[in-house]
Amino acid sequence: MATTTVAKTEKLVGKRIRRREDPRLITGTATYVDDIKLPGMLHAMIVRSPYGAARIKGIDTSAASKLPGVTAVYVGKDVVDVGPVPCGASLPGLKVPHHHILAQDRVYFVGHPVAVVIASDKYIAKDAADLVEIDYEPLPAVTDPEKAMTAGAPAVHPEWPDNLAFTYHQDGGDADKAFAEADVVVKQRITSQRLIPTAMECRGVVADYSTGDKALTIYSSTQIPHLLRTLLALMLSQPENKLRVVAPEVGGGFGSKLNVYAEEALMGWAAMRIGKPVKWIESRRENYMCTIHGRGHVDYYEIAAKKDGTILGLKVKIIQDLGAYHQLLTPAIPTLSVLMLPGLYKFQNVKAEIAGVFTNAVPTDAYRGAGRPEATHGIERIVDMLAVELKMDPVEIRTKNFIGNDEFPFKTATGLEYDSGNYALPLKKAMEIIDYAGARREQAEARKQGRLVGIGISTYGEICAFGPSPATPAGGWESALVEVDPTGKVTVYTGSCHHGQGEETTFAQIAADELGVSIEDVVVGRGDTSRIPYGIGTFGSRGTAVGGPALYYALQQLKEKIKKFGAMMLDSPEVEFANGECVCTKSGKTVGLGAIAGASYRAMKLPAGETPGLSVTYFWEPPNFAFPFGAHIAITEVDRDTGHVSVKRYVCVDDCGNIINPLLVDGQVHGGVAQGLGQALYEHAIYDDNGQLLSGELMDYAVPRSTMMPWVESSHTVTPSPVNPLGVKGVGEAGTIGCSPAVVNSVVDALSTLGVKHLDMPLTSEKIWRTINGSAN
Amino acid sequence: MKVSGSYTLPVAAETAYASLQDPALLAQCMPGCESLDKIGPDEYAMKMKMALAAVSGLFDGKIRIENSKPPSSFTLIVEGHGKIGHMKGTGDVTLNPQGESSTEVLYEGDVQVGGTIAAVGSRLVDSTSKLMIKRFFEKFATLVR
Repeated sequence: MATTTVAKTEKLVGKRIRRREDPRLITGTATYVDDIKLPGMLHAMIVRSPYGAARIKGIDTSAASKLPGVTAVYVGKDVVDVGPVPCGASLPGLKVPHHHILAQDRVYFVGHPVAVVIASDKYIAKDAADLVEIDYEPLPAVTDPEKAMTAGAPAVHPEWPDNLAFTYHQDGGDADKAFAEADVVVKQRITSQRLIPTAMECRGVVADYSTGDKALTIYSSTQIPHLLRTLLALMLSQPENKLRVVAPEVGGGFGSKLNVYAEEALMGWAAMRIGKPVKWIESRRENYMCTIHGRGHVDYYEIAAKKDGTILGLKVKIIQDLGAYHQLLTPAIPTLSVLMLPGLYKFQNVKAEIAGVFTNAVPTDAYRGAGRPEATHGIERIVDMLAVELKMDPVEIRTKNFIGNDEFPFKTATGLEYDSGNYALPLKKAMEIIDYAGARREQAEARKQGRLVGIGISTYGEICAFGPSPATPAGGWESALVEVDPTGKVTVYTGSCHHGQGEETTFAQIAADELGVSIEDVVVGRGDTSRIPYGIGTFGSRGTAVGGPALYYALQQLKEKIKKFGAMMLDSPEVEFANGECVCTKSGKTVGLGAIAGASYRAMKLPAGETPGLSVTYFWEPPNFAFPFGAHIAITEVDRDTGHVSVKRYVCVDDCGNIINPLLVDGQVHGGVAQGLGQALYEHAIYDDNGQLLSGELMDYAVPRSTMMPWVESSHTVTPSPVNPLGVKGVGEAGTIGCSPAVVNSVVDALSTLGVKHLDMPLTSEKIWRTINGSAN
Repeated sequence: MKVSGSYTLPVAAETAYASLQDPALLAQCMPGCESLDKIGPDEYAMKMKMALAAVSGLFDGKIRIENSKPPSSFTLIVEGHGKIGHMKGTGDVTLNPQGESSTEVLYEGDVQVGGTIAAVGSRLVDSTSKLMIKRFFEKFATLVR
């Protein structure tokens, strides 16, 4: 058989290779859900609650149904048999409201789906949606989680008047004893405000039901096609082997598409009912109202230390704003915050409590970092406050408390085992890049001139590579399938459904290196449950750190098989496989991968005990999380007259273990920093007391624009992870986690000359101006 | 959102009070008002075009007057809903005679909006309300003479 496979010797792993997926993304030739057009396809528009809380007294769909072009109008009672939107997290005593895909007799948040109109085009659907008359009796709402916990607050779910979905406690060591023995205790209420993930592509679903074979296909902008398939099968009582989920090109997720949404089931149900394809594309306003939000913490921190700066213990009470329902992982997110509380420090006494509180708002769930940014922000703020209290340099207090290089693997007070680390190294490197001593001298000069200049440090750790299966609700392994086709071309299928992270490039680098073929000869497939072995998906910085090793092991098995075919074809047991060919070490004769692949499928002859074809599927279970770390330093200056914060320099040194592609790692860090900076300075999802989302579109919700971004000076140190054979740790969330405390510590440092000790995010010009002018809030 | 302010009308308090409850006059003065019909004692049905930020649409509403104390005070309750959202406002209106042909009208109230107008236009609700009240009184002052 002919082969065109090009052997190569140059290694690609570790090289700055441009993303292979980018040309189609930047030329508008990629296929997103909204690009899918099926014959006879109908269009859905969802009628949503304009009230934060209300009773539905009646719905009149007659005018909407009569509009020419309208196929159907469905309301809550039509879909009452569809299973609830699932909550995958389990906690002792967790109260789980039944989350119908359309509201029944009550709405719980602005944007709550109440009815769906299906019509021949989306404009008719919109016009008809406007004709659905819903008689609401408005009820009192509550959106502030602390207010929701007070006696007499409106009950989000009348059956649970205290609005408390769960409480959770975790103790490590003996925090009470540590606090009793402390020389100093610093306390602070620290918030992490509600944020809107704002993926560039909003959500979208196309559901296609084949009435002939009773098979349903769901195209959805999702991070987790297989989990979605399983959960939709349960919701719709559709056999899972007659349900296919396809995640086409996904325009960003950041955790917001790590979910199963009412609309996904609703479109599937409607397509099955009508027998025609149905499309729903989320508008930006819907995305802001109805797709999960992130963060939403009010935390009370207490840190205990000795006079010399040795941290003894930490006590934290977390109030998590859950919103009105649990989406897939809603209640689990703050438990990740608890795990992350010790940060990079060696203290062994932690006492943590969580109160998960219902509010009349869209649910919170995983948003880039998911629980870890909140904890990192808290620990890095309170450690800075402790340094101020003890009149220590923020560098000194950190290095004094870092876990030592010889202490790994290190067991934390919250039950984790940190895999590897060299925590002082990235801090040292960041200080060299920014010239820390020089920056402090310049700051002193600036202060003499009355300028407000600050230097902020954050040394963060994070939990990545989610995760060992016992620590996850639905399995934490990942799958890979590698096929060499009869002409010698290579296809890699990964269950980690990357959606912008660049595995189309990095996984091809790994496969090309292992098989000794050109990267052009490797295709990386993803996202279609009919083509790919069951997989978990991409979230929690797991794509390369869990999907990568699955691919690596699949490649090793494949190489063994290739060698057996090579040995057979070269008629010698002394065979090595390298650079895309098998070489007989005795005779020097070679046979290329293409010829081997062809022979393996033609199968005229097979090696003893071998099967035809070159295809290996591998499921890899990680033995542990991986724990990246790093140091971010921000220099800021505050304008005394306007309160405007300028980030003068931003240096980040991240250690994510071995690096497959430095260009992509930089991209991940820069994007992460943009979202961290957004939280630190600009973004805030604000509900008023009636449950109206006031920051309901991009005019009012301040995602950082390019002009608001500093130049990010990023660098790396490399401490390989012993958890996986690639030595990688994960970097998708690092920038977000490291950024916000660096920026806030910097601004607080800038304002410290005015007596400011703490500020809660976002540090808008207005908030800073009011602080300077003595009228906070 | 709280709304308060005052406006001086060039008429006596009795005239001002009666005119403030004259549907035909009110309909002429309220910005965007397309119709205002008396549907009961102290109760009116209203259709009004509202525009806020990038959204505009027709509001169906009701105006109710409570606590009438002619010619010195009344409470105004306005409720409306439309495709772009809903609003509810309550306001206390007090009339202070300032001589024979001048009356100071004091108003103080609370406006709540919801739906798209809240999501899209919340930052403009305050200024838009003030502008609408100002326009109302300016027109009203010219017609009430």
